[in-house]
Amino acid sequence: MKHLPKHLRPRWRYLAVGIETWPDAEIRRRAFQRALWYAAGNLLGDAGSADADLTLLSFSHDDGEGEAIVRARHGHVDDARAVIGCVSEVDDDPVGIRIRGISGTVRACEERYMGRAGGTSTQRDVAFEDAERSAVVRDDACDVRTESGYVGAAAFDTE
Amino acid sequence: MYEAVHAHPDGDATAARHAATAARYGYEGVVVRTREALDPVGADAVDDRSPEAAALRDEYGIDVVDAVEIDADGATSASGAVGNYRSDRTVVCVAGGDDGLNRFAVEEPRVDVLVRPMAGSGDFNHVLAKAARDNGVHVEFDLGPLFRATGGKRVRALADLRKLREIVTYYDAPHVVSANPRSHLELRAPREIVAAAEAVGFDAEWVEEGLRAWGEIAARNRERRSEAFIEPGVRLGRYEEDG
Repeated sequence: MKHLPKHLRPRWRYLAVGIETWPDAEIRRRAFQRALWYAAGNLLGDAGSADADLTLLSFSHDDGEGEAIVRARHGHVDDARAVIGCVSEVDDDPVGIRIRGISGTVRACEERYMGRAGGTSTQRDVAFEDAERSAVVRDDACDVRTESGYVGAAAFDTE
Repeated sequence: MYEAVHAHPDGDATAARHAATAARYGYEGVVVRTREALDPVGADAVDDRSPEAAALRDEYGIDVVDAVEIDADGATSASGAVGNYRSDRTVVCVAGGDDGLNRFAVEEPRVDVLVRPMAGSGDFNHVLAKAARDNGVHVEFDLGPLFRATGGKRVRALADLRKLREIVTYYDAPHVVSANPRSHLELRAPREIVAAAEAVGFDAEWVEEGLRAWGEIAARNRERRSEAFIEPGVRLGRYEEDG
């Protein structure tokens, strides 16, 4: 179809989203998009969800850290922010989520807010609570494996 | 703005990890609700903080406040616990959740915050709101279910929040807002909290006020505990030097 004249095209805002999970979680693009739509449907209802029109444009996730660009309609950015904050788990994996910033173009969004992944993560043993335990360490963060699952610690706790 | 967190062993992240994440998210401080997670302010206090909290502040540039959340079976045992912890904890919270405990907490001026008043069988009314206002007890608005619950549970929690909000704002009782995060993954940045709360009918300004209130409570209690403090409005000062 012939594309719309410029004044009739929808105007978009692009939200840079930072994602954090436990190191063993694996999140796929489709699952994240589904979680986003469900969160929107539950918080804003079908009507509000259609208005905000949250679409995932790019997504990457690896080793407990990820980032995404979410497109939302101009004027519904506050709704979009609320919805993204309400994504608490994807496929039963808890996710920490944060909006790094908002841009008017995909390119500005990428240049300004993306590609900020922390250092590479390594697996090693750390001293945590009087015991030697295996942990996944990235920069300051340190996810320690215990009997009851992971515990989020920081370099401060393991020194 | 401050967030009040559940740290390991009560939650899945240590106080330090919470502090690191909160600093990145733009908070000015975290209140650690879990008693075992952070040392109380003892005799060797640095700057009205325990050495551990002071070290965390230097490391991450964020204020870390020691607190306790008293989860008792009834008013009598809660009263004993308040007496025990008031002198060594900066912020004292009482977990509500049944009518007797809610009533006890709002009528006890030594309590700083009544947390999760609507949990379980707990309820709130005008009598409690007036008592909370007169005794300066902050009522917590727990936004945890807004972020993490789904379906009927979330609907009921939001309905309770609305009822609580109507009563508390009418009597102008002091309030605090928190998402009750149990790990760094459940922590949300202040702007996300405000946006989500706004989507369910809260006033943005009011929510921000609730997030700041934690810091105000901590600052007030630290001042009260400092040696120069005699009573509200009266401080031990220095003699004026003769010019």
